[in-house]
Amino acid sequence: MLTLLIAIPFLCALAVFLPVSRDFRLKLFFVISLAHALIVASFWSHQPLEEYNGFLVLDSLGLILLSIISFLFLSVSIFMIGYFKHEKRSNRLFTACLLFLLSTMSLVAVSYHFGLLWVAIEATTLFSAPLISFHRNQQSLQATWRYLLICSVGIALALMGTFFLAIAAHDVHTLLLPVLLKGASSLSVNWLKLSIIFFIVGYGCKMGLAPTHSWKPEAYGQATGMVGVLMAGALTQCSFLALLRIAQICNKTGLTEFYSSILIVSGILSLAVPAMFILGEKNIKRAFAYSSIEHMGLLVLGLGLGSVGLFGALFHMINNALAKVIMFLTAGSVAQKYGSTRSDEVTGVIHIYPLTGILLIAAFLAGIGMFPFATFHSELLILNAAIISKHYLLAAIGVICLAFMFIGVGKIVLGVIHGKPKEPLLAKKENIYMNVAIAMAVLLLIGLGLWMPRPLENLLHNAVSLVGAV
Amino acid sequence: MNIMISILSHWLIALTLAPLFIGIIAKIKAFFAGKKGPSLFQPYYDLQRLFQKNSVYSRTTTWVFRCAPIVNLAAVLVLSLLVPLGPFKAPLQFPGDIFFAAYILGLARFFMIIAALDTGASFEGMGASREAFFSCLSELALFMNFITLALLTHSISLSSMIGADIPMSWKLMGPTLLLVAGSFFIVILTENCRIPIDDPDTHLELTMIHEVMILDHSGIDLGYMLYASALKLFVFAGILLPIIIPIQMANPVIDMLIFLSSMLGLSVVVGMVESTMARYRLNRVKNLLLISFALAFFGFVVKMWRG
Amino acid sequence: MMTSWVDTSCIITVFLSLIILSNYRVTAMIRVFALQSFVLSLLPFFLHASSLSGRDIFIVLVTMILKAALVPYILFWAIRHVSMRSEIKPIIGFGASIILGALVIAGAFWISLSLTLPGKPASDLILPCSLSTVLLGFMIMVTRTRAVTQVLGYLIMENGIFLFAVSLFDVMPVLIEIGILLDIFVAVFIMAIVVNHINEEFEKNMVSVSRSKMGEAF
Repeated sequence: MLTLLIAIPFLCALAVFLPVSRDFRLKLFFVISLAHALIVASFWSHQPLEEYNGFLVLDSLGLILLSIISFLFLSVSIFMIGYFKHEKRSNRLFTACLLFLLSTMSLVAVSYHFGLLWVAIEATTLFSAPLISFHRNQQSLQATWRYLLICSVGIALALMGTFFLAIAAHDVHTLLLPVLLKGASSLSVNWLKLSIIFFIVGYGCKMGLAPTHSWKPEAYGQATGMVGVLMAGALTQCSFLALLRIAQICNKTGLTEFYSSILIVSGILSLAVPAMFILGEKNIKRAFAYSSIEHMGLLVLGLGLGSVGLFGALFHMINNALAKVIMFLTAGSVAQKYGSTRSDEVTGVIHIYPLTGILLIAAFLAGIGMFPFATFHSELLILNAAIISKHYLLAAIGVICLAFMFIGVGKIVLGVIHGKPKEPLLAKKENIYMNVAIAMAVLLLIGLGLWMPRPLENLLHNAVSLVGAV
Repeated sequence: MNIMISILSHWLIALTLAPLFIGIIAKIKAFFAGKKGPSLFQPYYDLQRLFQKNSVYSRTTTWVFRCAPIVNLAAVLVLSLLVPLGPFKAPLQFPGDIFFAAYILGLARFFMIIAALDTGASFEGMGASREAFFSCLSELALFMNFITLALLTHSISLSSMIGADIPMSWKLMGPTLLLVAGSFFIVILTENCRIPIDDPDTHLELTMIHEVMILDHSGIDLGYMLYASALKLFVFAGILLPIIIPIQMANPVIDMLIFLSSMLGLSVVVGMVESTMARYRLNRVKNLLLISFALAFFGFVVKMWRG
Repeated sequence: MMTSWVDTSCIITVFLSLIILSNYRVTAMIRVFALQSFVLSLLPFFLHASSLSGRDIFIVLVTMILKAALVPYILFWAIRHVSMRSEIKPIIGFGASIILGALVIAGAFWISLSLTLPGKPASDLILPCSLSTVLLGFMIMVTRTRAVTQVLGYLIMENGIFLFAVSLFDVMPVLIEIGILLDIFVAVFIMAIVVNHINEEFEKNMVSVSRSKMGEAF
């Protein structure tokens, strides 16, 4: 079952290179995403068996990530149908890379071996790079280059972290997670500490934590909305999963304070840095990129703050993904309609495209964490955890940074929505596919904000106990 | 009495053999250029010719200019007493004699520089300034090498540093000695003004360093200068070779043969390096010297690492 | 010479990284890198000189072909494609980089003082030399402004990681193969540069594109 989840998108990605029509590729992608979503939905009710001697195992953490991946790809596949109605460029490489991404991200969610995890994350970096430069102009190539450079360094550091882990696990003689957890007492502490540092810096690079965040504004600013969703909503969370896996080992070996302190520092840094840069920003997508850095900071902060924070962080994984769907897909929609996403070039969207305008407001509120969107609850849980563990200053700084983000993002989004309407490039007709894709996520996010379904709550509690935070 | 004999025999060997190796280098360069080249004994003929001539002195020069060649040759001769040559032990050895060696060299160089400045001509001044700059950097590397060797052999006397402890050190401290040898080779090339630092054959103003400083000397003085540079190469090789080839048999004849053949080998290598490379641009020479220092420093770090 | 070949390879690797750090001609840098990769690819031979296994031979051959032949070839192709000449001055100047490089090496050795490898590694120089190479590669990457030289710095970092992986040869299976995968990744990444026509104009502007120009595409 798990192998199918990974193999089928991969094979279809190869099939995309055959000479078929654009529509066929879009439909294929939709079908595969739907199939993926249905399979993952079945995993909620009964857990699949482990495969390849324990290399591929699905546990609660993996299930959270897989569900996020499924939903994101599904909404992107629907959005794509609407997007490519007006896009002239060939979607061959684009669809192929998306399918490769689906396959490798699923691999990340189910790998139980640290080496395999690293390979999968490296593969996701590789396949996401061509997506950024879809429009093949000067700036997008430069953004792709910067992304590749910084993330490659991150990957190399993460590889060193994996090697250090292997040395620490010298007596255990394998990198499989359950074996490492069982033999946790025999791991050498010095090497483990070094490995944790390299993991956090390396995988943090890929998540876009400060100070290695500089690729984010350019990459997300240049990539189309759909790519932005997948990168901000799924790719970064995959790296977060890697951090969760190492957290499992840390908690078993008693190094909780060590890695908590590092994570809290990176978290606060990642909250403060975007707050400093957002106020001068004029481009919606770049603003959303800063918001993504901030949300990653929240995730990492939650992970470092014990089990209440962890619950909030895991819930935030889901909410962040949904919020990013809304944010980046609306930005992509505006971009296609107007040819730009800058608040000085696009104004008065709500007068010409009322539905898109409303969805853009929803995007702003969801990204900032306004009730009734579920992001409100998860952010509150994390800040609450800070107060419970007596990190009052932390909570205060967090609130101030979130306030700055609110002002910054609000300024840009409201500037785009209201004002004198500018002439769009396309017809003044709303695109049904695009809006449906976004609306799905809006409804889901509001639903989660109003009511936590029992299965989800159980899954989250399971996941928290799996990580073993105290 | 014994000291006198050993000093005189040391000088005899050094003075007789030194010009031969200059000749060998020139022959190798000619071979690479496809020419027959000058005779192997050409330096001897040159020296003989120069010693029969008179010196011409410019009216702007002072006593400094006249005594510089003498000081130069004398200093290098004293230096040769500190270095073992083949089976002959160094007649002069005392703890701390590496500093004496470095500063004797410095004395020779100082006099050459001020003699060049003494002529009042701009070419010589240019060469003098370059020589001063490069020697700063090469002394850095030289001293770093000496420090590493001193740590390895637990002594600060030149003879014991390159003496009996070396074969065992290769086993344990091989990497360090490799690095020291590499760094020292670059120092040799610098001190003796070989390509890629300086071209000994060129006589163009803009490219000379050493050649330009001796441009104004003539006759006997020039003879002294040439002899001194040949001796300097010989002595430096005598420091480097026991590090690379630390073979010491009891038999003096075999030791002499080993010494001579290793000197021959080194001359051939220097000749090959000179023939296959071009002289570096002057700011690249600075980088080369810094690399030599970095190598020596690396050797030092490895030595500290290994204990 | 009575030193072990493993020691010599480690030293040569670090020495060659220093050479690349101080060099400004890209073709020379690529050749030195090819030499470094060649020396590194022979390491499994030196480690297991007495008892070669199929796995050793496989790793030696794959690394040699990939890193000492294929990657330099792709880099040369990339340079020709963008008709790149010599490097402009790096951010901290060549002389300063060499001194800094020497200090970095000393720092790496100092860090290695507190780390002990388990088991009995073939040489105690592998750990500090690999750390030095990684740090030197990182320095090259950070202080250069041209795309191809930045990639070269990354490749040297990778060589350092490979050296480190070799020391873990007997500790855990499969790790070196993962390291080789990293190399393949980089090869593809370099191809991506060339295929996407990252040209010289772009490289010159890379450091100084004004902020207002960013975010223009949709």
